[in-house]
Amino acid sequence: MNISRRGFLKMSGAMGGGVALSSLGFNLGPTRAYADELNKMNRIRMARQSTTICCYCSCGCGLVCSTDKGTGKIINIEGDADHPINEGALCAKGAGFFQMTEANEHRLRKVLYRGPGGDKWEEKDWEWALPRMARLIKDTRDKNFIKENAKGELVNRCEAIGHYGSSNVDNEECWLITTVARALGVVYMDHQARVCHSPSVGALAESFGRGSMTNHYIDMQNADVILIMGSNMAENHPMGFRWVTKAQERGAKVIHVDPRYTRTSARCDFHVPLRSGTDIAFLGGMINYIIENQKYFKEYVLNYTHASFIVDESFYFKDGLFSGYDADKRKYNKDTWVYEYDASGIPRRDMTLQHPRSVFQLMREHYSRYTLDKVSGITGVSKDNLLKVYEIYSATGVPDKAGTECYALGWTQHTVGVENIRAMTLVQMLLGNVGIAGGGINAMRGEPNVQGSTDHAILYHILPGYLKTPSASLDTLEKYLTKYTPVSKDPKSANYYSNYPKFMVSLLKAWFDKAATRENDFGYTWLPKMDDGKHYSTMHMFDRMYEGKIKGFFCIGADNAVSTPNASKVRKGLEKLDWLIGENIFDNETYQFWRAPGVDTKNIKTEVFLLPASASMEKEGSISNSGRWVQWKEKACDGPDQCIPVGEIEIKIMQAVKDLYAKEGGVHPEPILNLYWNYLDKDGHFSATKTAQRINGVFLEDTVIEDKAKGTKTEFKKGQLVPGFGNLQADGKTACGNWCISGSYTADGINKMKSRGKEDPTGLGLFPNWSYAWPVGRRILYNRCSVDLNGKPYNPQRNLLEWKDGKWIGDVPDGPWPPMAEKEGKYPFIMQRDGLGAIFGQGMADGPFPEHYEPLEGPLTKNPMSGQLINPAIEIFKSDRDKIERASKKFPYVITTYSCTEHWCSGALTRWQSWLLEAQPEQYIEMSDVLAKEKSIKNGERVKVSSVRGSVTAVAMVTQRLKPFTIEGKTVHQVGMPFNYGWLFPKDTKDDTTNFLTPTVGCANTFCPEYKAFMVNIEKA
Amino acid sequence: MKKGYVQVTDSYERIVHWMVALSCLLLCVTGLGMMFQTFNFIGAFFGGLKNLKLVHNFTGLFFAISLGLVIRMWWKEAGVFVFPEDLEWIKAAGGYLWHVDKVPETGKYNPGQKAFFLVVAGGGILMILTGLVMWFPMSLPVGLVQWMYPLHALGFVAIFAFFFIHLYLGTIGNPGSVDAMITGWMDKKVLTMLHPKWVKEMEHEGKLVAWGKEKKNNAHGHSA
Amino acid sequence: MNKPELVKLIDTTLCTACRGCQVACKQWNEMPGLRTKQTGTYQNPPDLQWNTWTLIRFQEHVDKATGKFQWIFRKDGCMHCTDAACVKVCPSGALYHTEMKTVGIHREKCIGCKECVAACPFHVPRYDAKTDKVYKCDLCYNPISQSHPPACVKSCITKALTIGPKDEMIKKAYARVKKLGGDANVYGDKFVDGTHVIYILQFKPEVYDELPVNPTVPASVTIWKDLFKPLSLLAGGGVMGGAFLHYMIHGPKVPHEGTGVEEKKGEE
Repeated sequence: MNISRRGFLKMSGAMGGGVALSSLGFNLGPTRAYADELNKMNRIRMARQSTTICCYCSCGCGLVCSTDKGTGKIINIEGDADHPINEGALCAKGAGFFQMTEANEHRLRKVLYRGPGGDKWEEKDWEWALPRMARLIKDTRDKNFIKENAKGELVNRCEAIGHYGSSNVDNEECWLITTVARALGVVYMDHQARVCHSPSVGALAESFGRGSMTNHYIDMQNADVILIMGSNMAENHPMGFRWVTKAQERGAKVIHVDPRYTRTSARCDFHVPLRSGTDIAFLGGMINYIIENQKYFKEYVLNYTHASFIVDESFYFKDGLFSGYDADKRKYNKDTWVYEYDASGIPRRDMTLQHPRSVFQLMREHYSRYTLDKVSGITGVSKDNLLKVYEIYSATGVPDKAGTECYALGWTQHTVGVENIRAMTLVQMLLGNVGIAGGGINAMRGEPNVQGSTDHAILYHILPGYLKTPSASLDTLEKYLTKYTPVSKDPKSANYYSNYPKFMVSLLKAWFDKAATRENDFGYTWLPKMDDGKHYSTMHMFDRMYEGKIKGFFCIGADNAVSTPNASKVRKGLEKLDWLIGENIFDNETYQFWRAPGVDTKNIKTEVFLLPASASMEKEGSISNSGRWVQWKEKACDGPDQCIPVGEIEIKIMQAVKDLYAKEGGVHPEPILNLYWNYLDKDGHFSATKTAQRINGVFLEDTVIEDKAKGTKTEFKKGQLVPGFGNLQADGKTACGNWCISGSYTADGINKMKSRGKEDPTGLGLFPNWSYAWPVGRRILYNRCSVDLNGKPYNPQRNLLEWKDGKWIGDVPDGPWPPMAEKEGKYPFIMQRDGLGAIFGQGMADGPFPEHYEPLEGPLTKNPMSGQLINPAIEIFKSDRDKIERASKKFPYVITTYSCTEHWCSGALTRWQSWLLEAQPEQYIEMSDVLAKEKSIKNGERVKVSSVRGSVTAVAMVTQRLKPFTIEGKTVHQVGMPFNYGWLFPKDTKDDTTNFLTPTVGCANTFCPEYKAFMVNIEKA
Repeated sequence: MKKGYVQVTDSYERIVHWMVALSCLLLCVTGLGMMFQTFNFIGAFFGGLKNLKLVHNFTGLFFAISLGLVIRMWWKEAGVFVFPEDLEWIKAAGGYLWHVDKVPETGKYNPGQKAFFLVVAGGGILMILTGLVMWFPMSLPVGLVQWMYPLHALGFVAIFAFFFIHLYLGTIGNPGSVDAMITGWMDKKVLTMLHPKWVKEMEHEGKLVAWGKEKKNNAHGHSA
Repeated sequence: MNKPELVKLIDTTLCTACRGCQVACKQWNEMPGLRTKQTGTYQNPPDLQWNTWTLIRFQEHVDKATGKFQWIFRKDGCMHCTDAACVKVCPSGALYHTEMKTVGIHREKCIGCKECVAACPFHVPRYDAKTDKVYKCDLCYNPISQSHPPACVKSCITKALTIGPKDEMIKKAYARVKKLGGDANVYGDKFVDGTHVIYILQFKPEVYDELPVNPTVPASVTIWKDLFKPLSLLAGGGVMGGAFLHYMIHGPKVPHEGTGVEEKKGEE
């Protein structure tokens, strides 16, 4: 007998009648179901099978739902054995997926409303709610609309409406959300990506040209050394760890660097504890080591990075600051951060890397300051451990070895978030690990579709496809395009963003269709504009909300009252809203902020609408995992009762608003009335397919595309789908909601996201025919770095790509051009203006080289590296609730906050699920046995944790897995807490969110909050 | 009951005896039903094996009460060996196994019966105690609980074996004996054969009641 | 159809304690999650329960010899013994050996006597007063009898859990232990005639919480089932037979006519 993991999908057999549903694990009555007694296998066989993708972390595991044909309800959910990433396996959250279906009594089923001063929900319905919400939206918008800013620039925005969410809805829904927000003129729009991986986008785009994970989960099996730093992978990306285990099987070394010894550390070769907030020091030491010991892959560094570029004389670094710093504004003028150019406008280079002004030598000088002693004193890592890690990891700087780094929020959630990651990109570029199998920077995103929601830009600073949100000074489309379309004089640089105009115009056409014409700049002026230099991120939004400046708020698939930093400030802000529209599958602390402990319910006038949404398996659509695989989910069943997909909610709300503007007129109605809004199917329900096709792109007229180089002419008919972004036009002939995803459909309308091909021709786990990887099916980005200048693989054992007989074989090449040695050859980082990996980060807000700065609130008064204690470019918030207390006896312990396997983010989904809650029932704080002894705190005892901003209670978990650090000669204790709990549920909860402790401060570049390093005190409760 | 019969037990003795006997029998039958999977079918008579367990457990309680009464009633007479007379009887096996010319004269209960009483009393107490623990096994440490089961089985071995001897000798083995527990009257000739010393004692004390000549207000054969 | 003897292998050196197996088991068997408390450990529920048939045990351990710290994870649950004490003691046959030699449980037959709870050398079966029945892992009899993996094995992220024909799995276990070196050992194949759940342990068995070093069917069970039970039948049957013979040979005791003295009747 062959024990096979496969076959569920083949089991949909005879057309059986409905099978009576059994007790589903909730009924505690005497008649309990039992799998054997009910012959569950048979029940599943008779059910309808459909596939879906997990709605938790970003691994993108496949699941199979079995829906009873008679009742139409899901009776079983388990892993999809055919899925290449998880092969049927599931972590605790995925395994418990069933408890998210309507079988869970806590699912929202009806439209709920809370009136001003009300103390409970009232059940309403869609017919009642939609007109009321549309009315509120229109009135708030009209009353608070800003046509021109103080400078007299046309901005067409509404600052009184805020928006948050969601990374937990499908791509098609994300796109609709961002569309609605932009049409309304909202600028305070953001979502989970902000507080999660926004720094990844910033850092990776700066270094490589694209802001996403360079490789993908299965590829980790190909590594020789895996550095897990800034991540607790086995706990928070469990399926990713499956592939780490595979690598270990093949002899790879796996290192875990983390303030705590966690479930990840238990399975790694060794664990190196370090003080949270000191990763740059650690990595700076590694860069120093690599350079001084000549461990770098010289050929790679020379040809694929811009290490040889000569930097302008005016640039300098002194005592923690780079040239051009304005201390009052806390901003850099980056005019000196430029290269020297030759006569033809191409940056000057020194291929010997000896020139003292070369990027290479500047980098060397910069990191020569990160000696072992210095690094050890800052991080608390012993010199032995430092050398151990440096030695093992830098051994991958040779052609036949691959080293990869896996990180997540341990790196992003800092005031130096972007720079943490940038530091690693420098390491990887030096070692030649980018663009190869088993290498790269694996930015493991935290939500099931945060990749997608970022691609579709539910973010204030970008438009779908990572285009830039227009600023007020760019009053015409031409000015805008000129600013953002990079120009390179180097013929070897593909500079793919030179196609920016095609992407932007196609986006505008997707939004405004016929109404967008060349005459009206394709509707460019209808879009809301940011004020130059101003930011509208989550923290800014809640800062404004706290001031009472935001009147209306959309909270979709999110729980800010638990997950946004400085919770008391957030919750006070919510109390000042006129209205809040929530869309979710469960209730949470944000939607019930008016009933939170200690709140004056009667005097809160906010009208709150809580709209019941369909869960992930109750709708079809695509989601994108961290490896950029856009996977299509099937619909297993309808959502219960009044539930509809978020996409449909968005469509209906916007339609109601449109109708009001059509009827009454109003302020700046153009973007609303002209919005192309045809995304329902013939039955009036949300059509993910229609939306996906719009996102992919469609020809609005018959178009002939000429490829002069190949000498071909391709004809497309009006209505045909665009088969790839190479076909997009800047003259309005194409509409494309997001150029990155263009190509997810073929011209004939085949949805590539549905592909389930199991072939793996390279044997490297690329699975080219499974789902659709953007861009254009490419699995490993920058893969032309895996070959030499002639196109021959550096490591033939891991043959990712090869130039053979005049064409590329293997993965989809990153740029179809021939290898660099050929005449038509191009540099490998095609999205970079200069075509090369960028070590010197010209676009960074806090400096072109990552530099160690202490967290905003840390244990030290002086930065051992320089005279600059904290990141000089971070924004400091000044409300009365933005207190800081550093290096203080009152708050002496360094704390980091995180999640655990059993819960997900704010716990707003997982706390309602009894299987998961049973495994991790209450909030805890992990502390070393040394600290516990000092404070006479016993394991299991309830304690009070406080920062200068607030306090919460938690159960003390006294453990040997945390050890005190010696920082600059003094003992510093490190503690840690999960942030998965809130007051609303379970009902007997004694604790509230950890985020009462966290400060409103974030990364200098992307405003990702510093959840991972601040100071607290602990006392017996 | 007819001429020549004398009264040997009163109603209290008989009732208590049957309480113990029948509950013991029921316990054995229900116990067997659970002890051997081959005998699981016995459960069918009680509406399922689960009910069998319930019947066994609660009958055990009833048995405990009955046994208490039995012991209280008979321990002096049936629970104490009197030497050297009982030893003589034992040496002769009461005349049951081989021919004995003159069987030593027994009082109200012969050593065989005394042995049976002790087995039932002792074994019964053992069964009750072990049975209680088996009913609530979580209430004691597992190491201790584990030994309750073999002890319960051991008690059964002893009781089961002695029961058959008692059954045989109380019925067909000694014809005329069973009347003692049914009507309470026995043929004086049989009684005299089996318990001559007791007959003499009763006649001496004037306590022997003959059929047709019952006195009023008599207490017989036991100190109630 | 001939079903091979199966062994489930738990490689504790690959486990990340993600609790996928713990939840998958509940999901498949439709068991509820109950309210628990945080007592300062990740281990929850604190022990196996009627509704928790498999549990990951967390243990912080410092190796005495090397001083090295290791967070130990062990998936606890029924070992599916060949010489299964629970099957031996079960009065109703609710606990039984399946064709794959795993220990199955016919819950409708369970009478809640709890004898198995005391008998199991691994302290696995758990009783629920509400249903008056005992619960334990049945190694997913329903799926495995149809060539599908148990819920826990299917769920396991790192393939710490695998299942296959007995000989193959034991071979695999020893190969792995050889590769690991140190104190790594195979646990289970040598006790109770071999269990059908086998561990690959990183440390010696005595290091692990709640793991008996030398599990055997308790002596009390052996004495009871292998000695006293047959003895009772022997005793009862022997006595019955003896009584019959006695009656045949010796005959009943009857008084001599008139004398009140016993008279010999029948043959000697």
